[in-house]
This record gives sequence, C-alpha cells and structure tokens, in this order.
Amino acid sequence: MKNFDEFSKPEEYISPMDKHIRSVIRNWADKEVMPYRRKYDEDWKDHHIIEPAFDKLMGNSGIGLQKALFPPELGGWGIGQSDSAFTISCALAEEVGRADTAMAVAFMVTYWPLTTILVEPHVNWRLAKEFAPMFCNAEKAVFAANAMTEPQGGADIENLELTGGKTIRTVARLEGDEWVINGHKLWPTNSGGVAKLFVVPCTTKPGSTDLKDFAMIFVPAETKGVTQGGPYEKAGMAADKNSDIWFEDVRVPSWYRAHGPSMDAQIFREIIPWGLAASMGFMCGAMLNLYEILYDFVSTKTYKNKPLKEDDHIASIIGRIAGDIDICRILSYEAAKMGDRRNKPYGYPIYSDEVACKMRNLKDFVSDRAVDIFGKAMDVLGPYGADREYDIEKHWRDIKIIQLWMGGKQLCQMEAARYFFNCKTL
Amino acid sequence: MNKALDELFVYPKELVDEESKRVIHLVRQWADKEIISKRQEYRENYEKLFIETRKSLNLTIGLQRLTLPEEHGGFGWNNPANAPGIASILTEIGRADAAIGVAAAVKYTILAAITMAPNFDKALCDALAPVYCGEELKTFSLILPGMGNIGQDTPLFLGRSILASVEAESDGYVVNGKDLRPINSGAIADLFCVVCADKADKPCIALVPGDNANVVRGKTLLETGLNASSNADVSFNNVKIPKSYVISRQGVVEELYTWLNLLLGGVSVGTGMNFFEMVGDWSETRTIKGGYMMKENPLCASVLADVADEVFTSRLFLYDLAQTISKPNDWGQSGSQRVYTIAQVIGSKIQQNVMRAINRGLELMGSAGYSKEWHVEKHWRDIKTIQSYLCGVGAEAPVKMDTARFFFDCKDI
Repeated sequence: MKNFDEFSKPEEYISPMDKHIRSVIRNWADKEVMPYRRKYDEDWKDHHIIEPAFDKLMGNSGIGLQKALFPPELGGWGIGQSDSAFTISCALAEEVGRADTAMAVAFMVTYWPLTTILVEPHVNWRLAKEFAPMFCNAEKAVFAANAMTEPQGGADIENLELTGGKTIRTVARLEGDEWVINGHKLWPTNSGGVAKLFVVPCTTKPGSTDLKDFAMIFVPAETKGVTQGGPYEKAGMAADKNSDIWFEDVRVPSWYRAHGPSMDAQIFREIIPWGLAASMGFMCGAMLNLYEILYDFVSTKTYKNKPLKEDDHIASIIGRIAGDIDICRILSYEAAKMGDRRNKPYGYPIYSDEVACKMRNLKDFVSDRAVDIFGKAMDVLGPYGADREYDIEKHWRDIKIIQLWMGGKQLCQMEAARYFFNCKTL
Repeated sequence: MNKALDELFVYPKELVDEESKRVIHLVRQWADKEIISKRQEYRENYEKLFIETRKSLNLTIGLQRLTLPEEHGGFGWNNPANAPGIASILTEIGRADAAIGVAAAVKYTILAAITMAPNFDKALCDALAPVYCGEELKTFSLILPGMGNIGQDTPLFLGRSILASVEAESDGYVVNGKDLRPINSGAIADLFCVVCADKADKPCIALVPGDNANVVRGKTLLETGLNASSNADVSFNNVKIPKSYVISRQGVVEELYTWLNLLLGGVSVGTGMNFFEMVGDWSETRTIKGGYMMKENPLCASVLADVADEVFTSRLFLYDLAQTISKPNDWGQSGSQRVYTIAQVIGSKIQQNVMRAINRGLELMGSAGYSKEWHVEKHWRDIKTIQSYLCGVGAEAPVKMDTARFFFDCKDI
C-alpha cells in the first residue's frame, strides 16, 4: 500500500465520471489548496486566500463545478438527473475534503438546497430555469445555503417525525402571489454574506403539526428584509462561514416554494440523506489525507531507533487507523449507493424511514471513527500532533463539527431506535 | 449550577492541610475574578490578559515561589507531602486557563527536581531562585526525550530518543542538541530543563539559561491549543553551563515524568471541571423536542452523566497519584520505578477521561460548543494539546512499555 487510492471502494458502484472528476479536482487541490491551507485559520473572516481557490473550483473561470447539478439544457452537467448523483457527490466531497473539509462543505452545501429542485424525480423546471443563470453563467464561485437551524430548538427542525414542525418559528404567510417570510435562523453553511441563494424551511401555520404546513421557500440573498450577521469565529472550518440570518417581511414570488404542501415535507426528508452522504465523503477525504501524512511520519520518525511503523505496538495502532479508514470508505460508498438506488425497483425512496435511519447510522459510525482516529493519529505524532505543520490537527478540528451537525449523534441514535425497535414516543 | 464544585467532585480533603486550603482558595478567587467571570473580555484580549493574569498569579499572589523552601523566600511546599496541595493549585489554575496551568505545571516539575525533599540542592537553589523566582515573571521550558529521526542512532531513555547531550568541559558542561521540541514556551523561556545523555549515554538533566547566545529558537509554533504558551523548537549549540546545572542522580528523569503527569493531570482536571460548569449551564437553558429542558431528557442526561463521571473519576485518580507521591516511605520516591509507572498510568488515564468528557459534552452543545463565543472549544483544543504532548511517542508507546515492564517484568521491550 503506497497510495491512498487503494483504500477500498466498491468498484461496481463507481460512476464512469469518477476517474476524470477525481483527477481534475486532485490537480486543483494540490495546486490551489494544499500549499496554502495552513493559512486558512487566519483568513476565516475575510477569505482573501480562500476565495480565489473557490473561484477556481466552482466558477466558470475554473472547473465550474457549481453548475454540475443543473440539466445540460440549462447550461449544467446533468448530474442531478444521473443515476450516480449520490456516488459522484461522494467522490466530490472526498476529493475536496482531502484538501480542506470546510471548502468541501461550503461547496457541497451549494448543491444541497438545489437538490430539491434539480434531482430526479422532483425537478422543478420553472425554478431550475430561474436560478440556472445565477450558477451556470458565473465566472466566480456562487454559493447557496440551507437556512435550517433556529435559535430556540437547535436540531429540533430535523426531528420532523416527532415535532411535526410545531417548533418552527420562521413563518411564511401568503399574501396575493407572494410569500412574506419572518424569522431568525442560525449557523447555515455559506451564511455570513457568502450565499446568493437560500432555501428556508419554515411553517405556513405556526404551531401546526400538519406536514402540509411545512414549506421550503427559495429566497435570493439580496431580497429586501434579509439580514446576515458577521461570521462566527470557530474552532476550525475556516473556509465555511456561518452566521445569524434574519428574515423581516421578506417577499418572494409564491412559486419560489419548492414543491408545495406535503411535498415540501417529503423533499425536506430527502435532503437529509444528501447531507449525510456528503458528510461521510468529507470525513473520508480528510481520512485519506491523514493516511498520506501519517505514512510519511511513521516512516521517518523513530522509536527505539527504529521507524515508528516497525514497532509492533505502534504498528497495531496505525494498522487500526488504516483499517478504519478502509471500512469507513466502504460504508460511505454504500450510503451513496443507497441514495442512488432511490429510483430502482429494489431501492427505497430517500424520504423513507429505511434510508433515513440507515444513512444516519452510517454517518454516526463514520463520524465516530473519524473523530477517534484523528485523535489517535495526533497521539501517534506526540509533540508534533498539535503542530499545524502536520495538518492532521487541522482536520481534527474541522471534522468535529461534522459529528455534531444535522442533529448530531443523539438524533442518529433515536432514528435507529425508532426504526429497529418500533419506538413510538421518542 | 446550585452545588459547589467541591461538593460534587469530592476528593480526600484530609490530604490538604488548612494552610494549603487557604492558598487554594486564593487561587480559586483569582480564577473566578480575573478569568472565569469575564471570559469574553479575556478571549478578545487574550495575549495581553494572558500575561497580566500570569503576573497577578505568580507575582501578586506569589505562586512563582510556591515550591521554594521558606529560607529561599518560598511557600515551603517543597516536600512530597505537599503533592496534593500543589495538584489542587494546578486544578484551580486549569479551571481558568490551561495554558497558564501548563506553564505553572512545567515550572513546578522542574523545580521539584531541585527543591523537593530529600533531594533539595541548596547550592543550585541559591543560584537559581533569585534569578528565576524573584520579582519578575520567569518562564521555564521542559524538553523531554521522545522521537528520533530516521538515520539517527541515539541514546535512549526507556525507549525514547535522547536528542541532547552534555559533555564535561573544564569547570562546567557543554550542551548540544538540534531542533528539540519542548513541552511548552520554547520561544520565550527564561530557563530550559533538557533531558540529555552524558558521554556514557546515561540520562541526566541540564538547566540551560535562555539568554545564552548559543541557544537558538525556531519560529513560534502554531498549535491546536495552548498557543499563549509560545512554543518553539530550540537548538543548543555548544552552550556552556556551570557544573551544578547538570543533575545526574539516579531516577531524576523519572522524577520529571512523575511530577509532570501529576501536575498536568491537575490542570486537565480543572479544565474538565470548568467544562462541566459550562455544559451544566447549557443544559439548563436549552430546550429540545419542543419545550423539554435538555437535562431532563434521558438521552441527554446520560451524556451529561458521562461528563460528570469522567471528571469525577479523574479527580479521584489525581488525588490517588498525589497521595502516592506524598508518601515515599510507603511507595518509594518519585523517581522509583513504581511511582514513575503509576504516575504515567494515572496521568494518561486522566487526560483520556477529560478528553472524553469534553467530547461527550460537545455532542450536546452542538454548534455552540464549536463556536469560540461559548469558550468550551478552547478547553477542547487545550486538553488535546496536553494529551498529545504527554503521549510522547507513537500514542503512548513508551507508557505502555513502562507499564508492562513494571507489572509483568518484561525485560526486552
């Protein structure tokens, strides 16, 4: 084993585009990110160094990945209509995540709200046409965001099965042919002035548990009444800005609602597996990079005057680390494939309890392993583990939030209990 | 939080005498007044306030002289019986700021090799105390043996590479070592304590004044945590030091490890206790599932229980170790194989426990735990940095080998 490409992924799952896409992104990562990423922490507020790298990844002046989900007739690559949409997304998340997890998050979250209107079988052509120019004709990076979390309930909004949306306080009121939105959201990736387009999960009837009253409405960031706070300073994830967002009598056309009553709740359930599969990809990418760094370290540093890797005890630790990376990668592609089976006779819809539960299980497992092996790898490096020069500590700081987001570990556990044990009241 | 920390995280109070308790109380007041009650201000002006609070702790309260004998102007806590009291002090400091705690822990560790009975070295103390424990704040830095580099064949201390050397020269010693990684403060240290090998490859420790022109410091490291301690790699290029600045008695390196594990354990327990306070407040002010107080949810309560459990047991472990060190007649001196091994086992366990406590608590705090605004993420980064340093080589490989060697009489590992 000399190359991180040799970590297992089920080859029969891999899309025909895989090799080409990986090669292009890896070239970008090695040239535009890897040499500069140690400076990203100090660039968290302004993105002076980070922004040009995004432009070369997402904008038409570079690879142009931000248009990938859009149909070809609207100027995109048609990945949203591909049978391998999840698997390709996993590969993208992995390759960008290898270089910088936060960049991977910011980039992939741009896809996240767009999946609701661009991925078969739920393509909303009117909205797709409306927003295609914003993403497909731009030379520079253009970001989107999913403004989900609210101040009072944290991850409650993701627990739609239990709450039925009754805790949601962001309210959309229909006035003529416009939605008028009021509310306060926290923490969306690509907030803090980054995103040009938000999707806003909200309620049309405060306190209602009827899922028909749950709505997902697109809101361009420059719309009057949208206010974004400054970015939060965080432990890591410098390339991903997060802030408060206030919606104050924000008016958008009524057809900016993603799909309408009931369907919006289903779509909301469908975006969760996208977020989970991408999360696994981010972590696998970081873990592949960990392997590269660790390989070099244990080959050149010594214990008892022998390379670290030649000591039986240390070998048992790094062997377990490599084994965990291998297993996590297999599981991540299995999760992606679960998403790609959504339209197959033997698959399950991605809004189903089956997919929601199993994907959360996989994400929970991969997160735990990732957090554990990064911590362990820092210990292997000993006094160098906390040193930014080795990059492992950056990944360690970055990936922790992946374990915590989207309802975190506890929601994953509750979903598993509900599904496997038919729990009724959790 | 309605209950006092000491009522929750119980410890054997009889190990700490009344006079020591008064000093510990003073340090708790310092922590609450100067740091904990104004976390936001402290974070926003960290570099400036880090120095000011260190000064108030070390000079105004006088903790710089804590472990000096009374005849040297110290508090006289230079007997192994003071180990529980010193550990308590570090716990109080760690509750406020782990970086200040690490600086203090390293200083007391190094001074323990000089001032602690029965190895009190009066001549060395006469030479060092006025300069390094006087009216100015002075920083000590510790360089332990660790990893070697491929192609080097180094002398070893129980498997760890000793990368520095001392050689006798006329009336003193010459110290050499390249790109050595200290535990802390390499960029700013006034005095280095470095584990060296002598001509016969026997380990010893050398004290090297930081103002020597042949001490070359690398650039200040950016690290996961503890950045205020300003660490940097250091090289010693034929640095001449007085003969008395080398301590080569049997077990002196083991003594360093013993005290370092105790005192960094104290720092981490304190940090864990403050994290407990923070996550406790969080769990009382957040609701889930549409209105239930977070701590009243059984799943969240079980996570909170893990946090309490890890911190609680860590504190007990800490005082177990302190008690062991404090009774050399029962268990041996701090440099004995038994105490050295126990210190490493307990030291490692404490760091793991506190790290787990914080990781578990962060699960409940979610994004807020990750944001600098809530302060807990600093504790998370600081503790991980301490843990990584203490691991030494290959995720505690030497600690595991020391443990197996003591408990199973292994001969060749």
